[in-house]
Amino acid sequence: MSMLLTKRLMRSLWRTKLRLFAVVMMVTIGVFAGISFGMYANVITDMYDETYLDDEDGVNLPDIWIKNPVGNWNQTTSDSLCKLIEEEWSSNTLKLENCESRLILSGLMYHANESMSAIWHGIDEGNIDRVWFPKHDCCSGRLAESADEIVIDYHVAKGLEIQLNDTVSLIAGHGKVDYNVVGIGLHSNHFYFAEPGSIIPAEAGTFATGYLSAEGLEKLANVSSGTSNTILVDIKGTPSYNLLSTDKNEGPELESIIQNLTLSLGNLEDISVIIHDRSGQESVEFLRADVEGAKKTYPYVTGMIVVIAGVTIFLSLQRLIQSQAKEIAVLRTLGIPRASIMQGYIIAPLVIGGFGSLIGVLLGWYVGGPGMLGFYEEIIGLPILLDTASSSIIFENVIIAMIIVFFSGIRPAWQASRLQPLEVFRGKNEIRISSRSIQKLTAKLPATLGLTIRSSIRKPIRLAFTFFALGLSMVLFGTMLMMMGSMEDIFSPNDGYDAQIFIPPDGEEEIINWANTNNVEYELLLQYPGTPQGDNRQFLIYGLDKIETKESQLSMMGIDLKDGELPIISSEVFQVLIDEGTVEFLDWNIGDQETIMLGSTQLKVEISGITKGEMQRTIYFHRADLSQIVGINTTSVLLSSSEDITIDSELEELSIGITTTEDLRKSMDTIMEQQQGILYSMNALGLLMAFAVLFNTLVMNIAERDFELSTLRVLGAPINKLGVMLLGEHLFIGFIGGIIACFASLFMANLMIESFVQWAFYFTIEPTFSQIITIGGIVVGMAIALTPLGMWRIYKMNLIEKIKDISQ
Amino acid sequence: MTLIELKNLKRHYEMSSETVKALDGIDLKIEEGERVILLGPSGSGKTTLLNCISALDIPTDGSYIFGGKTVPRDKSEQMTTFRRENIGYVFQFFNLLQDLTVLENILLIQELSGEKDQDRAINLLKLVGLEDEIDRFPAEISGGQQQRVAIARSIAKKPKLLLGDELTGNLDSETSTKVMNTLVSACESEKITAIFVTHDESLIQFATRVIRIDSGKIISDEKVS
Ligand SMILES: Nc1ncnc2c1ncn2[C@@H]1O[C@H](COP(=O)(O)OP(=O)(O)OP(=O)(O)O)[C@@H](O)[C@H]1O
Ligand SMILES: [Mg+2]
Repeated sequence: MSMLLTKRLMRSLWRTKLRLFAVVMMVTIGVFAGISFGMYANVITDMYDETYLDDEDGVNLPDIWIKNPVGNWNQTTSDSLCKLIEEEWSSNTLKLENCESRLILSGLMYHANESMSAIWHGIDEGNIDRVWFPKHDCCSGRLAESADEIVIDYHVAKGLEIQLNDTVSLIAGHGKVDYNVVGIGLHSNHFYFAEPGSIIPAEAGTFATGYLSAEGLEKLANVSSGTSNTILVDIKGTPSYNLLSTDKNEGPELESIIQNLTLSLGNLEDISVIIHDRSGQESVEFLRADVEGAKKTYPYVTGMIVVIAGVTIFLSLQRLIQSQAKEIAVLRTLGIPRASIMQGYIIAPLVIGGFGSLIGVLLGWYVGGPGMLGFYEEIIGLPILLDTASSSIIFENVIIAMIIVFFSGIRPAWQASRLQPLEVFRGKNEIRISSRSIQKLTAKLPATLGLTIRSSIRKPIRLAFTFFALGLSMVLFGTMLMMMGSMEDIFSPNDGYDAQIFIPPDGEEEIINWANTNNVEYELLLQYPGTPQGDNRQFLIYGLDKIETKESQLSMMGIDLKDGELPIISSEVFQVLIDEGTVEFLDWNIGDQETIMLGSTQLKVEISGITKGEMQRTIYFHRADLSQIVGINTTSVLLSSSEDITIDSELEELSIGITTTEDLRKSMDTIMEQQQGILYSMNALGLLMAFAVLFNTLVMNIAERDFELSTLRVLGAPINKLGVMLLGEHLFIGFIGGIIACFASLFMANLMIESFVQWAFYFTIEPTFSQIITIGGIVVGMAIALTPLGMWRIYKMNLIEKIKDISQ
Repeated sequence: MTLIELKNLKRHYEMSSETVKALDGIDLKIEEGERVILLGPSGSGKTTLLNCISALDIPTDGSYIFGGKTVPRDKSEQMTTFRRENIGYVFQFFNLLQDLTVLENILLIQELSGEKDQDRAINLLKLVGLEDEIDRFPAEISGGQQQRVAIARSIAKKPKLLLGDELTGNLDSETSTKVMNTLVSACESEKITAIFVTHDESLIQFATRVIRIDSGKIISDEKVS
């Protein structure tokens, strides 16, 4: 008996093949996205955890970095600093394991007649933060041992096709020296391979890093043996540290050590230091944010898609039951028990869910997940060393999908079994919005229009669920669209200058001379690290020659003033601008006086205004004010010219790093191009689902009115007039759906950004009019596009058969 | 004047094992103003004939001339236009649009056939005796009243021919009589020719002509007064 009932149900589902397909597809997409994302999140989490470990295979990341922001220390100084650190060690629980000094310099590299900015590390044996040669065909060779050897970073070697035994020429402010490549490896500071201060992965040929022996780098920089500018401190085990992305302090112990060291080192004569933990290490923090982001997004995206699938299944089943109400009522009248009727309606969604999940699992495990990891390899440039995706993500996703599918089937099934035969026969089993009040509202309109409106809203539950699912699907699209837009804004390089020339201390005179002879305009820029007082999160601090807004075009590095006034130079308390992210995280405001730490110097500043568009927490000073405090004039020179600037070897030899806006733009274009693939497919996914949801509902709406429409057709209603009615209905639904989609996208985009932003990466979303129009327009467009389908259905309707249905 | 002229009209269904001859050579002339009742056992071809006359169905063979013109049979929109311009149809189960009031149901058909005339719609409702119910929804009136609305709707666009398949099949005999009376007076005042299919011999009193068919053939055709 129930076998036959189930069979009948399957047949009637099969009759609505197209809709059935749409529903199965949604489950598939949900499971697919879940598994792809899950595999990605899993693998990169494991990689992140294992890479930095202090073991044979790991790199042993330092726990505390102590940097010299103004120059170098000689051997004696660095030795005494390490000694002091040991003496002043304030924690009993965290044991100091190691203290190592390093020289890390910026400079240039030449390869095949191309020059590029570079960062050079002098690393000997290296207990902490060693050069990493993982067991992977990315890397080969050995550490640099003699003074003319170098290990080149894998990213660079791959981009420039550098091989072992090649020769490269290096500069670090003191002329060119040739080195022999003895290894290709990775370094924890440059896993995420971007120029310092930039979040965009560097384009091949614009940035290089290399790992020399200490002696080798000393030779390049022409400094005495044992010179350093960084001290790395390793603590036994891996102590937790304060994460920038959370409000609570995960590492109070480590933080108190850092506070303590800042105090005791800051008290030393002639010593200026910046001290931070892992969170201050850009590359490390970026990878962590990425891992965290993936972990956070994964359940959202999957959940969202599966919920959409659930809603669609729910609506489809409800429609099915409604169309079978009479049959069910007859069966009930004949005394068939509730349980046998319910069975089929519970089995159906499970079969749909099971089938959809199966396809989703296969696609996700074999295509989506590996695809995403490949994409990661491509963009981050880190080889995927592990293959640890556990099959538990399959179970997780399938179970979540099946549970949602099951619950979306429960209510319709229950409804089916509760149908009251008498009510069905009287036609009272349908939930309808009060016809009377709507009739009053639309009485003045022509009957065709009245009918359009009434039939659009006659199924309030279906409509509400449709809007809900539509909103969710468009969230995927809309959020991506808005995020893409604001990312493009934030990442796009400054147009005000053509090149930024980094200089050794007091090197600006020569650059100015060069600029004057070459007829190039220039501005001086002083960049200095700093922190809020009693807080080791870092600011990017700029000293600008002229602080002007972007629009005014009076300064090469224009700012985007959101609120307040431009600072006045040489005020009693120095006036500064802070970015809106700083306002957000520190709650500083216009007119406030706050204390910041510049190295070991305390400085009280007054906030005159707030800027926007900075990803990092930024403070703008007048350069004259800042240099007075830190004792350095300039760290780089901005060059601008109406014609192209030719960077000649004279300029290169004067500098310790050159960044051209053109290179930045190229990097930016590359990443956007790479991202586009994934963003477009996310967008397409969202659109596909939105379309499936709309399709499902609109087709159901028409199917439900087969009866009415065929009556009208028999009475001779022309297809084009019915088409106009249908169009009106679709427009109405599309319009409301579009508005909901806009709001939902905006809401979700903000929610997502709120969960992503942290000290080091802050951005906001400002949707543009065209984005809003795009999101809303797409929904309306899809609804309109479905009109011909409905018309075709009406046109093809077999009236003779329908008449028979009608009169029997 | 002759309204309908069928010559050797056939409608065959090709089934896998046999050919079902639902209509097997019908010759029939119907004059304007006639009210014809079609009688016959189940499966004799009554509905099929009605469907062919209303250009819902396409005859397999034979000719069909309506008002002196050949009725279209290959373009579905032309067939629809033919129905819109000439045919009124009353169903067994009324088929009113539940979301529209009684009056709106009639206005809708007028709008769709491009000649909205609210006064006429109200007059028609008076004609079928429903002037007090014009603002009610179909669910709020009785079956017999619904059928009378359906009649008003079917003649709202001034068809030349009104068709009904078992249009009283769902009503008790008292209501049937009332509906048929309404129909007769409507047809007379609007000068509409009518063909009704029924099993109910008692309805013969409302006709001017009775045609009996069996196995797709006309077996008797007599005028009644
Ligand atoms: N779609 C079809 N395919 C095959 N045969 C059909 C089809 N429709 C009708 N028939 C056959 O055509 C014949 C005439 O059917 P029709 O519906 O015209 O009968 P009817 O006189 O209206 O019967 P009833 O009084 O029961 O309504 C029947 O034998 C029927 O089986
Ligand atoms: Mg019949």
